[in-house]
Amino acid sequence: MQQDHCIRISNLSKKYSGTSSYALKDLNLDIVNGEIFGLLGPNGAGKTTFFSIVCGLMKASSGTAEIAGYSISKDLESIKRIVGVVPQDIALYPTLSGRDNLLFIGRMYGLKGKILKERVQECLSKFGFDKNSEMPVKTYSGGMKRRINLIGGILHEPSILLLDEPTVGMDVQTRTSMMEHLKDLNANKKMTILYTSHYLEQAELFCDRVAIMDQGKILCLGKPADLIKNENGNDLEDVFLKYTGRKIRD
Amino acid sequence: MHRLFSTFIKEFKILIVDKTGITILFVMPVLLVFIMTLIQHQAYKSLSQSGIPVLLVNNDNDSLGIALENGFKKFSICELTVDHGEKYKTSADIKKRIVEGEFLVALVIPKDATEVLRGNVQEMVDTFFDQKKPGQASSPQVKIEIIVDPTASKSFLMAINSSLKEMIASIKTKVLFQIMGEKIAVLLESEKKPPLPEKDFFVYDEGFALREGKDTYQPNAVQHNIPAWAIFSIFFIVLPLAGSIIYERTEGLFIRMRTFPGSYLSILSGKLFVYFLVALLQFGMIIILGKFVMPLIGLPSLDIGTHWFALTILTIMLSLSAVSYGLLVGTLFNTPQQSAVFGGISILIMSALGGIWVPVNIMPPVMQTISSLSPLNWALTGYYELFIKGGDWYAIQNQIIKLSVFFLLCTAISYRLYKLKLRTY
Repeated sequence: MQQDHCIRISNLSKKYSGTSSYALKDLNLDIVNGEIFGLLGPNGAGKTTFFSIVCGLMKASSGTAEIAGYSISKDLESIKRIVGVVPQDIALYPTLSGRDNLLFIGRMYGLKGKILKERVQECLSKFGFDKNSEMPVKTYSGGMKRRINLIGGILHEPSILLLDEPTVGMDVQTRTSMMEHLKDLNANKKMTILYTSHYLEQAELFCDRVAIMDQGKILCLGKPADLIKNENGNDLEDVFLKYTGRKIRD
Repeated sequence: MHRLFSTFIKEFKILIVDKTGITILFVMPVLLVFIMTLIQHQAYKSLSQSGIPVLLVNNDNDSLGIALENGFKKFSICELTVDHGEKYKTSADIKKRIVEGEFLVALVIPKDATEVLRGNVQEMVDTFFDQKKPGQASSPQVKIEIIVDPTASKSFLMAINSSLKEMIASIKTKVLFQIMGEKIAVLLESEKKPPLPEKDFFVYDEGFALREGKDTYQPNAVQHNIPAWAIFSIFFIVLPLAGSIIYERTEGLFIRMRTFPGSYLSILSGKLFVYFLVALLQFGMIIILGKFVMPLIGLPSLDIGTHWFALTILTIMLSLSAVSYGLLVGTLFNTPQQSAVFGGISILIMSALGGIWVPVNIMPPVMQTISSLSPLNWALTGYYELFIKGGDWYAIQNQIIKLSVFFLLCTAISYRLYKLKLRTY
């Protein structure tokens, strides 16, 4: 079911029960195959709600979402097999080793036996875990945990990777290294990447296109360079502040 | 199946790397059962074997005194010291010895007690034969003094009292028979004087109501306590299980698991299966403790009966009930602290109601009714049927059905709660 539009969102709205305002309101978005797309916004903009709906963790109040031609409301199981998810929180068992965590995640995606072990080893080596893979995750640094967390999302070689704030709390070196790995996956495996972030500088360098959203709506959408040029800014942060304002958010 | 097996492997690894968890899951239950059985063994021993120091001051030295002396000598729970008024002359002397802990109970039979008893009975017979008016009798009563240590257990004192009254009633009957015989001999102008009957008119044959095929049973702490505390320990699996479920649900792990292909419930099933096996293993270890380790320290060996199929099914249902209750607590609460407090206290309440701590039959009627709602009581009743009464599969069917319903109910409520809670994530 390969299509030009890898992710297609139409009039997507979400209203939480007991609240009067919409977390997402009539959102429309198309992400094409092989694209690295950044979803940017201040706290409470609706990024995580959007991410949760696209991952199938939450149901939309109205509208439709399709991933690789599969409807989220009807074909979630098909979507789960071709999508990799990297949650914002560290989604690992702290008392198990990095390798054991990955073996478990791989098995959950249907990988078995020699193929699973080789794939885990390949990823561990690529992300610099030649020595520490047998240590419990709780002994890892924050950056190491983030890297294992990321591997958990790409182990089964998904065609679409969804990342929620994947570089939060990382030092510059780890962050740069991780983004290079993602860029590499995008280039070599043609992996479509959708990620949410607060790091505007990183998004500017890394993303083919970005969307800035606030209060459940997309305020602007385009290539980072085009957006900066159109708004006469120096960088993406100028554009971001222009659209979302300087008011501190809860 | 692959997912279930994968989760099983993962949970197994989590358990074995957690040394404290392993200790809590396996060593603590065995230790609990071991200690509780040892403690209870002393209680059973004190009620079934000798060792309680009792002083009998027999100032009578006639039929009543001799009968009581002989009776208490046969009374197995007493370590009897008899004094014929040589050493202990006053109540103060006796009280002093009891306060010092030398004796737990002292019985003082007054001088000429038999004579007074005879006088009383004689007077009663005369009233009947000589047509005297009742109320004219003037003989004094026999006053038997019982001095007790205030720390002595009530059940023991009741046993002493009841035996004393039984012995006195017996000797009174014999004296009555003798005096009546003498009176009749006088009336018949016979030279023969009837002797005091030696034999009791009644003998008691006590036995236990056991199922067919089980002939004998000797109450002991191992047989009563091991199943009771094993059930209690197995139910404590609720705490680590609920904690583990809550941890997974409240950390990022839950998001990852829900994005895996397939249902999260199949992953959860793998976890439950591991804890189910842990519960079975716990029970197995406790049975081995009762059967093979307890005899090494002088306690009786646990008799688990001969109905292996019934025992297996009952243990499986007990384990499933404990695991499903853990699932319910883990689903209901949002923090490990909440689940630990609720889970722990609810198990204590269910165990107290279920007859783990005190037998159900000594509870007030209302509590006995409530007790019948405790799954720990159902399991305990089942094990007592198999281990003590010699019951088989048919004897425990009700318990199996009740435990199955509890398991299904807990699982169904947990599923519904899980679905409701999903809306908030």
